[in-house]
Amino acid sequence: MVATKRLRSGILLLASAATMAFVATFAVLTLVNSGSGPAPERQLDGAAPARTTDGQIKQLQAQVREAPKQAGLWAELGETYLQKVRETGDASFYTRADGVLQRALALEPQGLEGLVGAGTLALARHDFSGGLRYGLAAHRVAPRLARPLGVIVDAQVELGRYGDAARTLQRMVDLQPDLASYARISYFRELHGDLGGALYAMRLAVSAGGGAPENVAYVQTLLGNLLFERGSLRAARAAYEQAIARFPNYVPAGAGLAKVDAADGRFESAIRRLRDAVARLPLPEYVVALGETEQAAGRATDARRDLALVGAEEKLLRASGVNTDVDLALFEANHGSPARAVTLARRAWAQAPSVRSADALGWALTRSGQPAAGLRWAKRALRLGSVDPTFLYHAGMTAQAAGRTSLARAWLRKSVANNPRFSPLYAPRAQAALR
Amino acid sequence: MKRAILVVVVALALLVPATAGAHPLGNFSVNHLVTVSVSSDRVDLRYTLDQAEIPTFQERDLPRNQVLAHKQAEVKRALHLTVNGHAVPLVQGLGKLSAPPGQGGLPLTRVELPLSAAVHNPRSVRVDDETFPDRVGWKAVVAEPGKGTAVRSTAPSGDPTDGLRHYPQDMLSSPLAERTAKLTVTPGTGTLTAPRAVGGPTTTDRSGDGFAGVFADAAAGKGALLLLILTAFAWGAVHALSPGHGKTMVAAYLVGTRGTAKHALGLGATVTITHTIGVFALGLVALLLAQFILPEQLYPWLSLVSALLVLGIGASVLRSRLRARKRGHGHQHHQHHHHHEHEAPSKKTILALGASAGLLPCPSALVVLLAALASHQIPLGIGLILVFSLGLAATLTCLGLLVVYAQRLSARLRVPGRITALVPVLSSLGIVAIGVVMTAKAVPQLA
Repeated sequence: MVATKRLRSGILLLASAATMAFVATFAVLTLVNSGSGPAPERQLDGAAPARTTDGQIKQLQAQVREAPKQAGLWAELGETYLQKVRETGDASFYTRADGVLQRALALEPQGLEGLVGAGTLALARHDFSGGLRYGLAAHRVAPRLARPLGVIVDAQVELGRYGDAARTLQRMVDLQPDLASYARISYFRELHGDLGGALYAMRLAVSAGGGAPENVAYVQTLLGNLLFERGSLRAARAAYEQAIARFPNYVPAGAGLAKVDAADGRFESAIRRLRDAVARLPLPEYVVALGETEQAAGRATDARRDLALVGAEEKLLRASGVNTDVDLALFEANHGSPARAVTLARRAWAQAPSVRSADALGWALTRSGQPAAGLRWAKRALRLGSVDPTFLYHAGMTAQAAGRTSLARAWLRKSVANNPRFSPLYAPRAQAALR
Repeated sequence: MKRAILVVVVALALLVPATAGAHPLGNFSVNHLVTVSVSSDRVDLRYTLDQAEIPTFQERDLPRNQVLAHKQAEVKRALHLTVNGHAVPLVQGLGKLSAPPGQGGLPLTRVELPLSAAVHNPRSVRVDDETFPDRVGWKAVVAEPGKGTAVRSTAPSGDPTDGLRHYPQDMLSSPLAERTAKLTVTPGTGTLTAPRAVGGPTTTDRSGDGFAGVFADAAAGKGALLLLILTAFAWGAVHALSPGHGKTMVAAYLVGTRGTAKHALGLGATVTITHTIGVFALGLVALLLAQFILPEQLYPWLSLVSALLVLGIGASVLRSRLRARKRGHGHQHHQHHHHHEHEAPSKKTILALGASAGLLPCPSALVVLLAALASHQIPLGIGLILVFSLGLAATLTCLGLLVVYAQRLSARLRVPGRITALVPVLSSLGIVAIGVVMTAKAVPQLA
């Protein structure tokens, strides 16, 4: 009897020892774990905010896993994924953004963040009517908030509803005068030919700052584009360089510097920069710029070789069910099949009846031998009073082909008035046509 | 600043809208994977490249062997191996290039390139993959077990992409961007301790430890918890039957001391507790000493301690039996086991015996604990070890009970007193013999 009692107390002793060992082991495991493993993320959960987009993504991914019922967190993660695409062009984040935003809307169909995120994604995919629907829905949820208005403005501008866009934009900037609203005002003024006003608004956007470094680098690049269009090459270069200082390896700014280099006659440097841009982010826009710069530099073989890439990209886009892009229509008109350009541009106009689509359709018609029809569309492209040198060059060449010589000279002169070297390929052609 | 301010002006739409059929990481991604395994005399690497449609198209004019030569040159330029703090040149094996079909009728580029380096006594190995900087895509370094080594790796042990053929589409994790692996190496038997990859196994062990495999499945979310617990229990129960878990000893002891059912139960409980403590303690020591010593190197010492403990118990039981025999000469022996209270197993010996059975933790259990640590599944791992120990103890207790009742049965059969009296002595001799064998086995391992 005594023996069993002792035995029992012995087991009790052992059990408590086991418990202590257990606790000690657990403590050490936890310590070692937090020391070696995902320590940086864990710190992010604390007071210090995540600075980089990657940091924010990690933090939000962890938060969503912890609280999977919170629609707001899903939506915020979706918007951060979209920011990641803006920074890197990594298309796999589009898929992720789509997934998490749908989850956000499933959890809360009238959630503001989810609606704004879904609208932004729709716009990025050139689904402008879809973007407008989401933007309006978000606006109904929060009528006093500026962010939904930004989605609405972008959609209205792309859909050619410039009067509506002006009213929305005014309300947006009244509610919140910041980088987002100033940048949109600048683009709106540029479309209407008010370069000075556009520059002023874009400078306001840059100085308003805020947001991710990429956002500021982006408006600095847009400022560079405006300065380039006005012919202030040195100021444009400075703006692009500031963008790169803000966000290293920023591809749009690198492409801007290439434009300035080409205008300065430094083709080799321009080609090098564009090669780099295309390697990182092969948007048709940059590939076309590379090919045209090579063409201007007399490297026809390289140009053909590189421009063929746009054809391959077109194939990929078609394979994924996307057929409309103004950039592709212009590429076909200039370097490929004008007939195909007309088809592409008509489809672009049907989905987004903007001045950009009108310009592309007009130029495609002219290149396919219908300058009279082209002229009608060229006038439509210029109806807001745009001084975009490419629009004016297209219109001038169209008028010339249609036999409207004086109109042609007026438009061509205007195309090279601000920046006589607006394009390495087309500025010399405009100059030649004027002689 | 919580949200990025959105500036969506035209021309910002990116090339690839996400649709089915597109390259999952975008059709201009450049994806690469480095697999590393460290053996005692060499380091083997395998570099795999999956290049999407657009960069492949840009190389369309080059002959295939020249494309391969470009990739080999990039790997030669930017894939670095450092062993014991010194850069070691890598020898490239025969590279393989293929062109699997991609989207829109365009091909992809796939390159597989084996690399190796002869090394001497590797202790720390570092791999830096700086190929294709600034390109979007999946970048990973994965560790695999080698030969004659025990490796601890910062890189995960599993590759969820099946060699860059399928990419995880989890919307709550980003594509991997891992370009570095650090490995700590000691001589061993081809084991690897590494963090768990997304959807990959926890721990790879060439000796094929079933329990660790079960754990990896659970960690990966496969199988119900209940099933896992049952498996752990069954595994422990079966494991107790494998050599070296003291079941013979327990039986012999209970026979020798004429233990009761209570003693058998107490013994089982002790084994559970000591085994659990043993695993935790060893895990603790392994963690604290991880910088200097590997758990594998602790086993021989634990074996020795266990063996000496058994030897001591055997000797003391033998002594007390012999003494009892001397004292009991000339008495009537037919029912002695009911009247020898002072000869029944004492608390101390029960504890010591249970401890020696449980002290040497099964390597499986330790692997589970370390795997739990590596994959941040600590509560699950600890729970499983407890269940495992319970299974172990259940078998031993059942064995003990069997022995106890068999003994009573034999007593009822009235076997001649001489033989019954001899049994305890023989069984204590058995314990001593087991202790000697265990010691003899443990000592050479220390070398």
